[in-house]
Amino acid sequence: MKTICRSKFYALYQSDEERCHYLDMGQKTIKLSFCQLLALRHKVQEIAIEDHFDSAFNKHGFETLMLCNKEHLFILNTLETLDLKELVEKSFFKLGIAYPASVLV
Amino acid sequence: MRSYIWYFCRKQKKMKDIARQQMSIKVSTMDALNEQIKMEGKASASYLAMASWCDQNGLPGSADFLYKQASEEREHMMKIFTFINDAGGNAISPEITNVNHDFSSLEEVFETALEQEIAVTKSIHKIVSLSRKSEDYAVESFLQWFITEQLEEEKSMRDILDLFQVMGTDGIALKLIDERIK
Repeated sequence: MKTICRSKFYALYQSDEERCHYLDMGQKTIKLSFCQLLALRHKVQEIAIEDHFDSAFNKHGFETLMLCNKEHLFILNTLETLDLKELVEKSFFKLGIAYPASVLV
Repeated sequence: MRSYIWYFCRKQKKMKDIARQQMSIKVSTMDALNEQIKMEGKASASYLAMASWCDQNGLPGSADFLYKQASEEREHMMKIFTFINDAGGNAISPEITNVNHDFSSLEEVFETALEQEIAVTKSIHKIVSLSRKSEDYAVESFLQWFITEQLEEEKSMRDILDLFQVMGTDGIALKLIDERIK
Protein backbone atom coordinates (compact mmCIF):
# COMPACT_ATOMS: atom_id res chain seq x y z
CA MET A 1 0.00 0.00 0.00
CA LYS A 2 1.22 3.47 -0.82
CA THR A 3 0.67 6.53 1.33
CA ILE A 4 -1.24 9.30 -0.45
CA CYS A 5 -1.38 11.78 2.41
CA ARG A 6 -0.90 11.92 6.16
CA SER A 7 -2.27 14.48 8.59
CA LYS A 8 -2.08 14.86 12.36
CA PHE A 9 -4.82 12.32 13.13
CA TYR A 10 -5.48 10.50 9.85
CA ALA A 11 -3.87 8.97 6.78
CA LEU A 12 -5.00 7.93 3.30
CA TYR A 13 -3.46 4.99 1.46
CA GLN A 14 -3.89 3.52 -2.00
CA SER A 15 -3.85 -0.19 -2.80
CA ASP A 16 -2.93 -0.78 -6.44
CA GLU A 17 -3.74 -4.50 -6.23
CA GLU A 18 -7.28 -3.96 -4.90
CA ARG A 19 -7.74 -0.65 -6.84
CA CYS A 20 -9.11 1.07 -3.79
CA HIS A 21 -8.14 3.38 -0.94
CA TYR A 22 -7.82 2.91 2.80
CA LEU A 23 -8.54 5.68 5.27
CA ASP A 24 -6.88 5.29 8.65
CA MET A 25 -9.18 7.06 11.12
CA GLY A 26 -7.15 6.15 14.17
CA GLN A 27 -9.73 3.87 15.83
CA LYS A 28 -10.15 1.90 12.62
CA THR A 29 -9.07 1.74 9.00
CA ILE A 30 -11.82 1.71 6.41
CA LYS A 31 -11.77 0.57 2.81
CA LEU A 32 -13.10 3.06 0.27
CA SER A 33 -13.84 2.73 -3.41
CA PHE A 34 -13.18 5.88 -5.42
CA CYS A 35 -16.92 6.71 -5.40
CA GLN A 36 -16.96 6.39 -1.62
CA LEU A 37 -13.91 8.63 -1.43
CA LEU A 38 -15.75 11.24 -3.51
CA ALA A 39 -18.78 10.91 -1.22
CA LEU A 40 -16.50 11.41 1.81
CA ARG A 41 -15.11 14.54 0.18
CA HIS A 42 -18.61 15.92 -0.35
CA LYS A 43 -19.66 15.20 3.26
CA VAL A 44 -16.52 16.76 4.67
CA GLN A 45 -16.96 19.85 2.47
CA GLU A 46 -20.55 20.25 3.67
CA ILE A 47 -19.47 20.43 7.32
CA ALA A 48 -20.00 24.02 8.49
CA ILE A 49 -16.99 24.39 10.74
CA GLU A 50 -18.12 27.91 11.79
CA ASP A 51 -21.04 26.29 13.63
CA HIS A 52 -18.55 24.71 16.01
CA PHE A 53 -17.83 28.22 17.28
CA ASP A 54 -21.46 29.17 17.66
CA SER A 55 -23.22 27.56 20.61
CA ALA A 56 -26.62 28.19 18.97
CA PHE A 57 -25.80 25.77 16.12
CA ASN A 58 -23.32 23.27 17.53
CA LYS A 59 -23.21 23.53 21.31
CA HIS A 60 -20.68 20.75 21.95
CA GLY A 61 -18.47 21.12 18.87
CA PHE A 62 -18.93 17.56 17.62
CA GLU A 63 -19.58 16.23 14.16
CA THR A 64 -21.08 12.85 13.27
CA LEU A 65 -19.85 11.37 10.01
CA MET A 66 -21.43 8.36 8.34
CA LEU A 67 -19.35 6.79 5.61
CA CYS A 68 -19.66 4.10 2.94
CA ASN A 69 -23.46 4.03 2.73
CA LYS A 70 -23.90 4.09 6.52
CA GLU A 71 -21.44 1.26 7.13
CA HIS A 72 -19.23 3.34 9.43
CA LEU A 73 -20.02 6.03 11.98
CA PHE A 74 -17.47 8.45 13.38
CA ILE A 75 -17.78 11.21 15.93
CA LEU A 76 -15.23 13.98 15.50
CA ASN A 77 -14.38 16.99 17.61
CA THR A 78 -13.49 20.38 16.11
CA LEU A 79 -9.76 19.70 15.73
CA GLU A 80 -10.36 16.28 14.19
CA THR A 81 -12.90 17.79 11.77
CA LEU A 82 -10.43 20.46 10.67
CA ASP A 83 -7.71 17.85 10.28
CA LEU A 84 -9.95 15.61 8.17
CA LYS A 85 -10.90 18.54 5.93
CA GLU A 86 -7.23 19.28 5.36
CA LEU A 87 -6.40 15.62 4.68
CA VAL A 88 -9.18 15.28 2.10
CA GLU A 89 -8.20 18.48 0.28
CA LYS A 90 -4.51 17.58 0.13
CA SER A 91 -5.25 13.98 -0.87
CA PHE A 92 -7.23 14.97 -3.94
CA PHE A 93 -4.48 17.35 -4.95
CA LYS A 94 -1.89 14.59 -4.58
CA LEU A 95 -4.11 12.21 -6.56
CA GLY A 96 -3.83 14.67 -9.44
CA ILE A 97 -7.53 15.45 -9.87
CA ALA A 98 -7.67 18.75 -8.05
CA TYR A 99 -6.01 22.07 -8.63
CA PRO A 100 -4.65 24.10 -5.72
CA ALA A 101 -7.05 26.85 -4.68
CA SER A 102 -4.34 29.50 -5.16
CA VAL A 103 -4.20 28.74 -8.89
CA LEU A 104 -7.96 28.87 -9.35
CA VAL A 105 -8.51 32.24 -7.65
CA MET B 1 26.84 -1.11 -7.16
CA ARG B 2 25.53 1.25 -9.84
CA SER B 3 23.88 -1.62 -11.74
CA TYR B 4 22.22 -2.78 -8.49
CA ILE B 5 20.73 0.69 -7.89
CA TRP B 6 19.50 0.82 -11.50
CA TYR B 7 17.92 -2.65 -11.12
CA PHE B 8 16.29 -1.62 -7.79
CA CYS B 9 14.83 1.55 -9.33
CA ARG B 10 13.39 -0.40 -12.24
CA LYS B 11 11.74 -2.84 -9.81
CA GLN B 12 9.97 0.04 -7.96
CA LYS B 13 6.59 0.30 -9.73
CA LYS B 14 5.00 3.66 -10.27
CA MET B 15 1.78 4.09 -8.27
CA LYS B 16 -1.31 3.40 -10.39
CA ASP B 17 -3.35 6.49 -11.22
CA ILE B 18 -6.60 4.95 -9.95
CA ALA B 19 -8.23 8.32 -9.36
CA ARG B 20 -7.66 9.46 -12.94
CA GLN B 21 -8.84 6.07 -14.24
CA GLN B 22 -12.11 6.52 -12.32
CA MET B 23 -12.76 10.19 -13.10
CA SER B 24 -12.35 12.16 -16.32
CA ILE B 25 -12.79 15.63 -14.85
CA LYS B 26 -11.25 17.56 -11.96
CA VAL B 27 -13.04 17.78 -8.61
CA SER B 28 -12.87 21.59 -8.63
CA THR B 29 -14.85 21.77 -11.90
CA MET B 30 -17.16 19.02 -10.62
CA ASP B 31 -17.95 21.21 -7.59
CA ALA B 32 -18.67 24.17 -9.87
CA LEU B 33 -20.95 22.01 -12.03
CA ASN B 34 -22.82 20.84 -8.92
CA GLU B 35 -23.38 24.49 -8.03
CA GLN B 36 -24.66 25.03 -11.56
CA ILE B 37 -27.10 22.14 -11.06
CA LYS B 38 -28.44 24.02 -8.03
CA MET B 39 -28.76 27.19 -10.09
CA GLU B 40 -30.59 25.52 -12.98
CA GLY B 41 -32.87 23.74 -10.49
CA LYS B 42 -33.63 27.05 -8.79
CA ALA B 43 -34.29 28.66 -12.18
CA SER B 44 -36.75 25.88 -13.02
CA ALA B 45 -38.55 26.36 -9.71
CA SER B 46 -38.63 30.15 -10.26
CA TYR B 47 -40.22 29.75 -13.68
CA LEU B 48 -42.85 27.47 -12.12
CA ALA B 49 -43.63 30.17 -9.57
CA MET B 50 -43.89 32.79 -12.33
CA ALA B 51 -46.14 30.50 -14.40
CA SER B 52 -48.36 29.98 -11.38
CA TRP B 53 -48.63 33.77 -10.87
CA CYS B 54 -49.55 34.24 -14.53
CA ASP B 55 -52.22 31.55 -14.32
CA GLN B 56 -53.70 33.17 -11.22
CA ASN B 57 -53.74 36.60 -12.93
CA GLY B 58 -55.50 35.51 -16.11
CA LEU B 59 -52.47 35.45 -18.41
CA PRO B 60 -52.58 31.96 -20.00
CA GLY B 61 -50.16 32.69 -22.87
CA SER B 62 -47.43 33.79 -20.47
CA ALA B 63 -48.21 30.87 -18.15
CA ASP B 64 -47.75 28.34 -20.99
CA PHE B 65 -44.48 29.95 -22.03
CA LEU B 66 -43.17 29.90 -18.46
CA TYR B 67 -44.22 26.28 -17.84
CA LYS B 68 -42.14 25.36 -20.92
CA GLN B 69 -39.24 27.42 -19.59
CA ALA B 70 -39.45 25.53 -16.29
CA SER B 71 -39.17 22.20 -18.16
CA GLU B 72 -36.27 23.48 -20.24
CA GLU B 73 -34.31 24.58 -17.18
CA ARG B 74 -34.85 21.15 -15.65
CA GLU B 75 -33.51 19.58 -18.85
CA HIS B 76 -30.41 21.79 -18.57
CA MET B 77 -29.99 20.64 -14.99
CA MET B 78 -30.29 16.98 -16.04
CA LYS B 79 -27.76 17.47 -18.84
CA ILE B 80 -25.17 18.63 -16.31
CA PHE B 81 -26.22 15.96 -13.78
CA THR B 82 -25.72 13.16 -16.32
CA PHE B 83 -22.43 14.62 -17.53
CA ILE B 84 -20.95 14.61 -14.03
CA ASN B 85 -21.94 11.00 -13.38
CA ASP B 86 -20.82 9.85 -16.83
CA ALA B 87 -17.44 11.48 -16.17
CA GLY B 88 -17.10 9.40 -12.99
CA GLY B 89 -17.95 12.23 -10.64
CA ASN B 90 -20.57 12.60 -7.93
CA ALA B 91 -23.64 14.60 -9.02
CA ILE B 92 -25.61 16.04 -6.10
CA SER B 93 -29.41 16.44 -6.17
CA PRO B 94 -30.03 20.09 -5.27
CA GLU B 95 -32.06 21.56 -2.44
CA ILE B 96 -34.31 24.36 -3.70
CA THR B 97 -35.35 27.04 -1.22
CA ASN B 98 -36.59 30.67 -1.20
CA VAL B 99 -38.54 30.66 -4.44
CA ASN B 100 -40.22 34.02 -4.99
CA HIS B 101 -43.93 33.87 -5.77
CA ASP B 102 -44.71 37.61 -5.49
CA PHE B 103 -44.76 39.87 -8.54
CA SER B 104 -46.40 43.25 -9.02
CA SER B 105 -46.83 43.03 -12.82
CA LEU B 106 -46.24 40.87 -15.88
CA GLU B 107 -43.38 43.17 -16.84
CA GLU B 108 -41.72 42.46 -13.48
CA VAL B 109 -42.07 38.72 -14.13
CA PHE B 110 -40.09 38.99 -17.35
CA GLU B 111 -37.58 41.46 -15.92
CA THR B 112 -36.91 38.91 -13.17
CA ALA B 113 -36.66 36.16 -15.79
CA LEU B 114 -34.08 38.15 -17.79
CA GLU B 115 -32.02 38.89 -14.65
CA GLN B 116 -32.13 35.22 -13.82
CA GLU B 117 -30.89 34.21 -17.28
CA ILE B 118 -28.07 36.77 -17.09
CA ALA B 119 -27.03 35.33 -13.71
CA VAL B 120 -27.00 31.82 -15.19
CA THR B 121 -24.91 33.04 -18.16
CA LYS B 122 -22.35 34.67 -15.85
CA SER B 123 -22.14 31.51 -13.78
CA ILE B 124 -21.49 29.35 -16.85
CA HIS B 125 -18.80 31.74 -18.07
CA LYS B 126 -17.10 31.47 -14.66
CA ILE B 127 -17.06 27.69 -14.89
CA VAL B 128 -15.59 27.88 -18.39
CA SER B 129 -12.78 30.13 -17.02
CA LEU B 130 -12.25 27.74 -14.13
CA SER B 131 -12.08 24.72 -16.44
CA ARG B 132 -9.48 26.51 -18.59
CA LYS B 133 -7.34 27.34 -15.54
CA SER B 134 -7.53 23.74 -14.34
CA GLU B 135 -6.91 22.39 -17.87
CA ASP B 136 -10.23 20.55 -17.70
CA TYR B 137 -10.93 20.73 -21.44
CA ALA B 138 -13.73 18.15 -21.40
CA VAL B 139 -15.79 20.45 -19.16
CA GLU B 140 -14.95 23.48 -21.30
CA SER B 141 -16.10 21.61 -24.41
CA PHE B 142 -19.28 20.40 -22.67
CA LEU B 143 -20.23 23.93 -21.67
CA GLN B 144 -20.05 25.36 -25.20
CA TRP B 145 -23.63 24.21 -25.80
CA PHE B 146 -24.76 26.12 -22.71
CA ILE B 147 -23.02 29.31 -23.85
CA THR B 148 -25.00 29.24 -27.12
CA GLU B 149 -28.21 28.24 -25.34
CA GLN B 150 -27.93 31.15 -22.91
CA LEU B 151 -27.64 33.63 -25.78
CA GLU B 152 -30.99 32.35 -27.05
CA GLU B 153 -32.59 32.45 -23.59
CA GLU B 154 -31.51 36.05 -22.98
CA LYS B 155 -32.76 37.07 -26.43
CA SER B 156 -36.19 35.47 -25.76
CA MET B 157 -36.65 37.43 -22.56
CA ARG B 158 -35.32 40.65 -24.08
CA ASP B 159 -37.74 40.34 -27.03
CA ILE B 160 -40.65 39.91 -24.62
CA LEU B 161 -39.63 42.97 -22.60
CA ASP B 162 -39.43 44.95 -25.86
CA LEU B 163 -43.16 44.23 -26.33
CA PHE B 164 -43.91 46.20 -23.16
CA GLN B 165 -41.88 49.13 -24.52
CA VAL B 166 -43.75 49.07 -27.81
CA MET B 167 -47.29 48.26 -26.69
CA GLY B 168 -47.48 49.64 -23.15
CA THR B 169 -48.32 47.95 -19.87
CA ASP B 170 -52.01 48.65 -19.24
CA GLY B 171 -55.38 47.17 -20.10
CA ILE B 172 -55.73 45.70 -23.57
CA ALA B 173 -51.97 46.03 -24.23
CA LEU B 174 -51.35 43.44 -21.51
CA LYS B 175 -53.82 41.04 -23.09
CA LEU B 176 -52.28 41.50 -26.55
CA ILE B 177 -48.77 40.93 -25.18
CA ASP B 178 -49.92 37.79 -23.38
CA GLU B 179 -51.33 36.42 -26.65
CA ARG B 180 -48.04 37.12 -28.48
CA ILE B 181 -45.73 35.43 -25.98
CA LYS B 182 -44.54 32.07 -27.33
